[in-house]
Formats: sequence, structure tokens, C-alpha cells
Amino acid sequence: MFIMKKFINDPANLTAELLEGFAIAHRGKIVVKSDKIVCRARSKPSDKVAIVTLGGAGHEPALSGFVGKGMLDYSVVGDIFAAPGPPKVIEALRMANRPAGVLFVVLNHAGDVMSANIAMETARNEGLNVRMLLTHEDIAPGADAPAEDKRGLVGCIPLYKIAGAAAEAGKSLDEVFQIASRFNDQMATLAVAMRCATHPATGTALFELADDEMEIGMGQHGEAGTGPCKIATADKTAEMMLSRLLPAIKAGKGDRIMLVLNGSGATTLMELYIVLRGCKKFLDAQGIEIAATYCGEWLTVQEMAGFQMMVAKMDDELLKYWKMPCDTPAYTVK
Amino acid sequence: MIERLTHEHWRAMIKAAREQILANQSLLSQLDSAVGDGDHGAAMLRAWDKAVGALAESPGPDLKALFGKVAWAVMSCDGGSTGPLLGSFFMGMSEAAAGKTELGFADVVGLFEAGIAKMQKQSRARVGDKTMMDALLPALDALKAAPVSAGIAGALKQAAEAAAKGAEATKNMRAKFGRARHLGDRVLGHADPGATSVSLIFKGFGEAIASI
Repeated sequence: MFIMKKFINDPANLTAELLEGFAIAHRGKIVVKSDKIVCRARSKPSDKVAIVTLGGAGHEPALSGFVGKGMLDYSVVGDIFAAPGPPKVIEALRMANRPAGVLFVVLNHAGDVMSANIAMETARNEGLNVRMLLTHEDIAPGADAPAEDKRGLVGCIPLYKIAGAAAEAGKSLDEVFQIASRFNDQMATLAVAMRCATHPATGTALFELADDEMEIGMGQHGEAGTGPCKIATADKTAEMMLSRLLPAIKAGKGDRIMLVLNGSGATTLMELYIVLRGCKKFLDAQGIEIAATYCGEWLTVQEMAGFQMMVAKMDDELLKYWKMPCDTPAYTVK
Repeated sequence: MIERLTHEHWRAMIKAAREQILANQSLLSQLDSAVGDGDHGAAMLRAWDKAVGALAESPGPDLKALFGKVAWAVMSCDGGSTGPLLGSFFMGMSEAAAGKTELGFADVVGLFEAGIAKMQKQSRARVGDKTMMDALLPALDALKAAPVSAGIAGALKQAAEAAAKGAEATKNMRAKFGRARHLGDRVLGHADPGATSVSLIFKGFGEAIASI
């Protein structure tokens, strides 16, 4: 049995306490308003599109770690692994609203979508200038599965970066939406789990895996993937995952891709580097160039061992926005 | 026998529903551990704590305002789907209660119907999908089928029984919604915590009125 061992206080105060600590760590970059809305310390000028997102806590640094110049303007935080309720989301949309408009990025998970839909209904009634974009790049249920079955995973982070850069560059809401949508439509993510994590509020293990098993396709709250399989080598795992991911984004010889290896919390950077090497070997053999890459922890699942592998087909415009400066607690480009 | 429900009755019903959830919090979380991350009991209790808390914000007889305040308070729970679903339910009831300070039998049925319809705008779940709907829809059918002679209390008791049967039936279902839908056969043999909560809610509603 997997016993939880964490440095916490009363589990009832997890989110409040983590946000207090986060605000102390990044004072000067972000502030927390209304208990659960993470904002930039210095707001973006109102003639630029604002970017808002929502999500459960427990995935630090995601999502609030990406609030800052060049990425998010507002991140609405829920409880651990649980979406925030509609009232706070509406409050954030009202804070963000401006003539230039708001891009509202929502990851496809039941609670997030419900909250977002209810908030959007109110936003429409109040005449706020908001457009919602739903991310759903998880291909665990199959690349051709209906969008509603595909979860939004770590792909939202580079999407925040690209949309955020376009917004800083003064693009209109329609343009920012169009650029973000293009990226949204040509990214794919697959996760693999090696060892389970515990829910910090309850101590319960999120899932079970035998000592010699890993599971490809597991979700970022421990939801089942495509079933456990025997642990494979880093190279074999890279090959298995890329063999599914590349066709999903129709990437082939001569294409340029973004490749992200996002550790789930307990997988070492050592392992991610080894997997990345395996990915490059496989991609070189396919004639596919890694034009953008990140290896580290953006969106974790507590102490889960495993990672999410994200690929996206890139073009000159998307690469331009990816490389523009940003300054957030969890990601900075000079 | 109570013929018409006023805000006093609804306050008692909401408090009684919360008591049921409180008393069964461990059971609900245990059920959720089998199919989810084990926090359903806590999330549902938080929602009902907010509901009860909201009662004080709307002290008058206006039912639209009462349910509206409860809806908004429940939605402010950061509990994932529970807030939006239960909040939508109360929002639907609020809209159906417009202009009324007391509700007869047919009005009560209409209110629950409106609550469920509003919830269905957020969830396409039907009977058989292993969700709250597996208890809610049978409860509504029981309310509609109950003879007027049973009175509102009697009808709610029948609804609670139908909800409990519906929740029990979810043991043999695979989940079509929520995180549990990725678990395949692992959910078989376990009742859905949401449907179980609904049966407890109707039990609370019925008992609050029966004892008056």
C-alpha cells in the first residue's frame, strides 16, 4: 500500500496555504486576488488581449505559475484537482474584460467545462468580450476519438505562451484566437505513469500499478489510460509514444515539431533527458526536426512518477511567438 | 398533511439534506475511492454547507430568491463538477419558483423537473450512465406518479425510495461521465457516489416534511 508522506498542515487549507506561499515566492510578479484569482502584479495595458484560464490546484507549477508578461493574465484556482466554481470564474472574466477582449482557455475536464460554460453564459449576458478556447489534445482514447473524450493536458502551457506572445504583440482577439486555435489543432499529448501518487487531502492513492508495470495514457488525476503494460526501456517507451503521437499531428519527414517532456512530479530530470535522447534518435530516423523543446516539470500530479509527452507541428509564425520573451514564475524567456 | 410548501419547509428540507450528507460522508468518500479520487463526500458536504449558509442571506418568503442564493452559494464551491451540477439544479428550481411564496403538489413536481432540466444543460447524462441522474430521474418519475392523496411528504418518500433503488442499480453500470468513465470495468460492483448522494438528499427532504 502506498502511504502518503507530505509536508502539509490541515488538509482543509491546502489550496489557501499553497497560494499564500506561492505569492510570497513570486512577490513582484503575481498577486492573489479574491482568495483564488492569480493576477499579474502589473496589469497588461487594456489595449491588448487578456488571457484567462481556470483549473484545479495540485498540479504546481501549473496553472498559476504561468501568470505573467507574455503568458497568462489571470488564473482561477479551484481546490486540489477540482475546478473552481462559476462565480470566481465570472469574477475573473469581469476583471480581465477590456475592449481588446479576452481569450479564455479551458482544459477539457468535466468540472472545468461546466464551470466555464456557466461563466460564459453570464459573460454573454453581461456583454463581456470573451472567446473561449477548449484544449483537448490527449490522444489516449485514440487520435480520432470525439473531442469531448479527449482531456486537456500539458499542451495548454505552450498554448498560453503562443497566445500570450501574440497578445503582447498587439494582435486582435480574432487573430490571437486564430493563432491559438491553429496550435490547439495540431498538438497531441500522451502520458505515461510509472508509480502512483496520493491525493493530498485524503491520502488515498490515485491509482494502482504493479511493481513491474507502467501505464500509457493515464490522465493527470490518475484516470485510467490504455491499461498497464510491462515497464519498457526509455528508448522503447519513447518509440511507443511517438509512434502514436506523430500520426496524430500528421508529422512526417521534413516537418518541424515542438517536443515537450513534462515530468509528473517524481520522475527525475535524469530520466527525462534519457527519454529525450531516445525521442531524438527516433525523430532523426523519421526526418523530423525538433524545432522547440522543453524538458522539466510544468504540470505535475503530486508525487506521481511518469511524464506527459507533447508534440505539436510548428511553423514560422508559431515558432516566432514561442521564442518571444516572457516572465512568469514557472517559465521565462529572455 | 402538508398541502403547500413555504420557505420554512424548504429551509428545513435543505438542512435535513445536509444532515444526511454529513452523516454519510465517510460512506460517500469510500464509494468515490473505488471509482474516483475519494473526495466526493467532502465535496458534497461543502456544497450543502454552502447551501445551508445561504439560507440566512434570503430570510424572506420569496422562493426564487431563496433558491437563487442557494444556487449561487453552491456554485462557489470549488469542487469540480459537484458545484456546477448541484448549483444548476437549484438555479432551475429558482427560475421555476418565480413569483411564488408557496408551492402545491404540482408546483413541487414542476420545481424538481426544472431543476433537473437546468442540470441537464451541463450534463448529457441519462439513466444508465452511472451518475446522479440514475437517482434523480427515477425520483422525478416517482414524484410524477405519486397520487395526490399521498401528499407532498408521501410523494417525497416515494421519490427517495426510487432514488435509492436507482443508486443501487448503478453498481452494475460502467461510468459514461466524469473521471470514472476512464476506468472501464473497474467501477463494476461499486455504486455511484453521486447517485447515492441524491438518494440521501431526497431522504432528507422527505423526512423533514414528514416530521412536521
